[in-house]
Amino acid sequence: MSNAERSVDEMNSAFVDVASNSEQQTAPRLDILQLFPWLKKFFQLRSFQFLLIFPNLVFFYFFILAGIFGSPVGNRNIIIIFVWIFWWFLLITFMVPFFSRLWCIMCPIPFLGEWFQRGALIKVRDRMFGLNKRWPNYLSNLWIQNIGFMILGTFFIILATRPFVSAVVLGGLFVLSTLLAVVYQRRVFCSYVCPVSGFLGIYAMSSMIELRRKDSDVCARCKTKSCAVGNQNGWACPWFLYVGKLDRNNNCGLCMECIKTCESQNISLFLRPFFSDTQMKGYDEVWKAFVMLALALIYTVVLFGPWGVLRDWANVTEVGDWGNFLFYTFLVWSFSLLILPALWALTTYVSKIVSGSDKVLFKKLFVAYSYVLVPLGLCAWIAFSIPLVMVNGSYVISIISDPLGYGWDIFGTAQFPWSPFYPEYAIYLQVIALLLGLGFAIKKGYEIGIQHYADEQLAVRSLIPVALFSLIITGIFLKVFTG
Amino acid sequence: MGKSNFLNRYRIPFAIVIVVVCAASAVLMASRHEEVGTKLFTIQARQYAYEPPILHINRGDTVRIKLLTLDVVHGFYLEGFGIDVHVFPSPPRMLLRDETYPDGFREIEEVVFIADKVGKFRFRCSHTCGPLHPFMQGEMVVGPNYPYYAGLGAAVGVTAAAFFLLLVRTRRSKHR
Repeated sequence: MSNAERSVDEMNSAFVDVASNSEQQTAPRLDILQLFPWLKKFFQLRSFQFLLIFPNLVFFYFFILAGIFGSPVGNRNIIIIFVWIFWWFLLITFMVPFFSRLWCIMCPIPFLGEWFQRGALIKVRDRMFGLNKRWPNYLSNLWIQNIGFMILGTFFIILATRPFVSAVVLGGLFVLSTLLAVVYQRRVFCSYVCPVSGFLGIYAMSSMIELRRKDSDVCARCKTKSCAVGNQNGWACPWFLYVGKLDRNNNCGLCMECIKTCESQNISLFLRPFFSDTQMKGYDEVWKAFVMLALALIYTVVLFGPWGVLRDWANVTEVGDWGNFLFYTFLVWSFSLLILPALWALTTYVSKIVSGSDKVLFKKLFVAYSYVLVPLGLCAWIAFSIPLVMVNGSYVISIISDPLGYGWDIFGTAQFPWSPFYPEYAIYLQVIALLLGLGFAIKKGYEIGIQHYADEQLAVRSLIPVALFSLIITGIFLKVFTG
Repeated sequence: MGKSNFLNRYRIPFAIVIVVVCAASAVLMASRHEEVGTKLFTIQARQYAYEPPILHINRGDTVRIKLLTLDVVHGFYLEGFGIDVHVFPSPPRMLLRDETYPDGFREIEEVVFIADKVGKFRFRCSHTCGPLHPFMQGEMVVGPNYPYYAGLGAAVGVTAAAFFLLLVRTRRSKHR
């Protein structure tokens, strides 16, 4: 995706697209802020985002301190239990599918940098501090986030079990985000660097809510474009977006500044069906979908599989077997970045052949159909996360009384025993999640096919290899979880 | 009512029937008569694995497990069967969690139970044994593994039902 799309300077050229964008929005949607006016008033509070971030910031600092000074045993330290079990489960099963990038509103990591840039916690000023440089065009994509997530993924077994490592990585992201805010404009860290943001963007396309304009004609007539450039009521969009042209959830951090700044009250939050955004825009996004699907499978096999030897390879800092760790790294990277994409290329090539039409380019099908990896991947991650909380969720009860593993008993629950919550039933929930992913993948695949082929029959024929690919992926996950 | 009209009107119930029939067929195909008997296993626990990692047994089998640990104290929590054992290295001994005993455990020679449920059940370490303790686990597959075959059949059914719905839709569009 080019920087130009997000550039405020080039907004005027986008206005002509506004009407056509609105016509594409055929899915039924419900104006949430019209239904709940008090919610709009809350969003319009200048202190709205600060009220959400501040408690998280306090917890974040505490978790970092716990990671550095608390028990080195993962299940006795709050940073591991709350971040990698509690937060992760909430994020992937609840926040993303239902509330898009809700987490980005309250994420504490960019707090200090944004505070520095704005020179204010709550009120709006007419200038921003810092060097305010433009982020380079060639980096205005998801590749840094893809590589960052792969690196974290390679070391995940260490990251998710060692409190000190978790603290260093989360603290490092905090420092990096602050430094980037000093040098560059607005939230470049969130848009182009944060490894979590990349997959949140892709999976936010599935969400049941969207922030959009109410009427495209109002945006077309608007002279000020305050939603993008800001005014006395709110800051310029920190995510470099112009709502008049916004047609996907990917890059919107739901900070609600545009709801404050829109002079025509033409922006709202809408309820819509799952997986309403279906457009993949570029190879960076396609590879993000590959990386996420591949890592869901790799994590499931390594963390939840019975094979200890795989855990030994990944657990290099304890086992010290660097040779096998390099082999494991090679497998993880080649499967995620080469093998899965190659299988996908083969699938879409067969799709083109089976359709019997030469009018749609292979490259176009490769990118467009890759959206089916979004429901497959998201539902696989949900299936992965279900046993995480059903088996280890009870640690939350004991850890709140002894967050640092020092032997405290603040709320009298420190001795609460590890009690898995009906873990034998997790497989049934996992099967349901995987089947939903498969169903949505095929349904959305058809909708994408229809957009590319004039004839419905060609679209259905072209879908067959994509549906078989989705079925095989689902079968592999079923085998790992239940077989 | 014409054939295509009928299919169009009842397409959703038809799609559901396709999924159910596929799942049920897979379960029926997986059904088999297995000899019921006693299965003996010696499981060696180490950081962060069990050897053998997967136990295959049949429904109705009496399962007898002897647990050993090669390094530190480990646990053996078998989901679905309410069994939780702590295994000590030296001297080797096994303590079964039993709330009727004063300290909550009683010493045993081996774990014995009847596999009266089918499916995949994980056994996990229940005694903190190191950084990767939460991920130390193995699998016990009690056949016939109906949940797996039902899931696989349902996945095929979802795919078939999706194409059935698309074909009905394509026909409807053609008629228009």
